[in-house]
Amino acid sequence: MLGPFPLILMLLLSAVFAPGLPSNLPVAVVDQDGTTLSRQAVRMIDATADLAVTVRATSLGEAQDALVSGAVYAVIFIPQSMGRDLLQGNRPELVTFYNNQFLTVGGIVSRASRQAMGTFSAGVATQALVANGAVPEAAVEAVVPIPVQRSPLFNPALDYVQFLLAALMPTVLQIFITASAALTIGSDVQHPNGMARLTRIGGSSITGIAGKLAPYGLAYLLTLIFADVIIFGAFDAPFNGNIWLHGAYSASFVLACLCLGGMLAMIAGETVGALGLTGVLTGPAFGFAGISFPRITMNTFAWIWGGLLPLTAYLQLRTDQVLRGAPIEVSLPAFGWLLGQILLYGSVLMFLVARSAQVPAKQASIA
Amino acid sequence: MRRFLDAVLDSIFRLFADKGARMTMVVSILIYAFLYPQPYTGEVVRDVPIVVIDQDGSTASRELRRRVDNSDQVAVVAHTDGLPAAQEMFNARKVYGVLIIPPDFEQDLLHGRQSPIAAFGDGSYFLLYGAISSAVSSAANSLGAEIRVSRLTALGVDAGTAAALVSPVVITSVPQFNPNGGYASFAVPAAFILIIQQTLLIGIGIMHAGKPARPGIARVATPTAYILLYTFWVAVTQLLLPVIYGLPQVGHPITLFAIAVPFLMAVTAMGFALVQVIPTREGMIFFLVVQGLPLFFITGVSWPIESVPDPIRWLAMAVPSTSAMSAIIRVDQMGASLSMIIPIVKLQLALAVGYAAIAYALHNWRFPNSS
Repeated sequence: MLGPFPLILMLLLSAVFAPGLPSNLPVAVVDQDGTTLSRQAVRMIDATADLAVTVRATSLGEAQDALVSGAVYAVIFIPQSMGRDLLQGNRPELVTFYNNQFLTVGGIVSRASRQAMGTFSAGVATQALVANGAVPEAAVEAVVPIPVQRSPLFNPALDYVQFLLAALMPTVLQIFITASAALTIGSDVQHPNGMARLTRIGGSSITGIAGKLAPYGLAYLLTLIFADVIIFGAFDAPFNGNIWLHGAYSASFVLACLCLGGMLAMIAGETVGALGLTGVLTGPAFGFAGISFPRITMNTFAWIWGGLLPLTAYLQLRTDQVLRGAPIEVSLPAFGWLLGQILLYGSVLMFLVARSAQVPAKQASIA
Repeated sequence: MRRFLDAVLDSIFRLFADKGARMTMVVSILIYAFLYPQPYTGEVVRDVPIVVIDQDGSTASRELRRRVDNSDQVAVVAHTDGLPAAQEMFNARKVYGVLIIPPDFEQDLLHGRQSPIAAFGDGSYFLLYGAISSAVSSAANSLGAEIRVSRLTALGVDAGTAAALVSPVVITSVPQFNPNGGYASFAVPAAFILIIQQTLLIGIGIMHAGKPARPGIARVATPTAYILLYTFWVAVTQLLLPVIYGLPQVGHPITLFAIAVPFLMAVTAMGFALVQVIPTREGMIFFLVVQGLPLFFITGVSWPIESVPDPIRWLAMAVPSTSAMSAIIRVDQMGASLSMIIPIVKLQLALAVGYAAIAYALHNWRFPNSS
C-alpha cells in the first residue's frame, strides 16, 4: 500500500521548489507624478527579476484593494510633484507598502523594491539633479562608500530554496517512518498475545522487533538517499562535508524515528491511538526544528520539545556537514544527541515490549 | 426539523463516544492550540549573536561596530583577530555571523575611495541571515551617507544640497497587516486552517472508514454535525487564539464564517469521498498525516503561489485548504471584504458539491444494498 507514496510526495515537493527563488512577484504602482522621471522609476521596478508591475492604480485606495485581495504583494507609491521635488533637491519620498502577513514574500518584495529605488536614486535621480544644475557635477561620486561583500562560501539566498527543500523532505519522511513503525508495532500489540508471539517468532524481543522494523528501515533509508539524489543530483546542491558521517547520521535518523514510532505504539497499545500520537508529535516538527524560525529565539519549552525530535538533530547535523563543511569533531555532540535518542526511545520500546510479552505468558502459566 | 436536530445531536454523541474520533476532533485540536505556537512565541528574531573581526581599529571602524551592535536585530558578542577563531565560534553555534572590517577601512573612506566590509552569515537559516544582512547593510549605508555628506560640506557644498545629492529620494518601506513581522502572526492562523482540515478528514476516516452510511436522515445530519462542531473550532482558532497569543486579527466574524463554512462543507464532503477510496481507519490517518506540510507550502501563504508550477497548482486546487487558507487569512488578518473572496467561496461550494456527488456515487457502488 505504501510503496511509492513517499517517493511521490518527495517528487511533488521537489517540483514545488524546482523554479527556485520566486521571481516576477506582482506589485501595484500608484504614479501620481506621471513625469518622465516617475515613469523611469516604474520601469526600473518592473525590470527587476523579483518584481513585475501588474497593476497601475490611480489612487492609493484602489491599490490597497489589490493588496488586500491578494492580487499584488506590494504597493509602490510615487507622490505628486515627485519629479519637480527631485529636481529642486527637495528629496521626495517613495513609499512601498508591502504585505507582511505573507512574511516570506513580503520580505522578498520589500527588499527588491528598496533595491530598485536605490538604483533609481543612485543613477537616474542623481543624473537629473546634476543636469538641472542643483548640485555641482564635481561633487558626484558614483560609488557606494561602504559596500557590503557577502561571502559565497556561506550560501546566498538561492541555496535557501535548496535547503528548504532539503529540510522539508526529511520532515515528511520523519512522519512516514514514525507512522510506519507505530502502525506495524501497534497492530501487533493490539492483538492479545501479539508481543508474546512476536518474541517467540523472533527468538527474543529485540530480534522480534528488529525483524519487524528492518524492512521499513531499509526502505526509508533508500527514500532518504533518493531525496539526497534529488538535492545533490537534480538541484546540483554542493556537498561540503564528510560523506561517511552524512551516511551515519542519516541511518541513525531513520533508526531513531523507528524507535520513536515503536515506542508510541507500545504506549498507545493500539494503531489508531499510536498514529494519533505520531501526528501530534511529528506533525508540527518542522516549526520546532529551527529552520524556519531559529531555535535560539525559542522559549525553553519549545527548545526542549524540539530537542526530543530526531529531525532537529538530523537537520543540525545536515547543516554542519552539507552546507558549512564543518570538521567532524564539531558534529560529534549533535551526533551523540541523535544516538542518545535511539538509546532512549529504543530502551523504552524494548522495555514495554518485554513487559507486554511477559504478561500473557505469566497468565498462561498460572492457568 | 425536530427529528433532524435530534439526528445531528445523535451524530455528535456518536463522535464523542468513539475514543479515536474524540481524540482527533476535540483533544488534538486543544493540544495543537497549545503546542503549535510554542516555537514562535518570541515572534521576531532579535539580537542574533555575531563576531566582529576589526582589522582596522580606527574611529570609523568602531563607529560602524557600534551601529551594528545598536540595531535590534544583531548583537556583537565577541571580537577576534583572525578568521580561524571566528570560524570556530561559528561552527560551535556561538555566533551566527561574522563581520570583517579590513585594515585601512578609515583611510580609504577619508580619501574618498570605496571601503568595502565583509559579512558572512548562514544562508540556510533564512531569518538569521536576513537579520544579520539587514543590520550590517543599514549600518554601512547610514555611516556611508554621513561620511559623504560631511565630505561634500567640507568641499563647500551646503548641507541641504549635500543631503539631496547623497540620497536624492527618501526610500520608505511600510509593512502592512503584520507590522512587526511577527512569525507567530504569520504562521499560527494559517497552520490552524490546515489543522482543522486534516483533523476533520481524519475524524471522518475514524468514524466512517469501511462502514456503510447509516440510512435515512443521518446521511445529512452526520455531515451537518461535523460542520457545526468545526464551525466552533474555526471560532476558537481564528478568533480566540489570536486574542490569547496577541496576534493581529482585524476581520469581521461574519465574513470569516462566509468563507469558513463553505470550506468546512468542502472538507467534510471530501472526507466522505476519501473513506470510500481508503476503507480503513489506519489507512486514512496515515494518508492524511503525512500530507500536512506539503499542503501548507502550496497554499501561497508561506511560499508565493506564482512560483509553484501550474500543473501542481491546479491539481492542488482540488484540496479545499489550497484556496481557502489564503482567503481566510485575507479576511481575518488583512480585513478583506466578502466581495474579494466570493470566487473562493464559490470554489469551496463547487468542491463540496463535487465531493458529495463522488462520495454518494462511490458509496452506492460499494454498498449497493444500503439504501
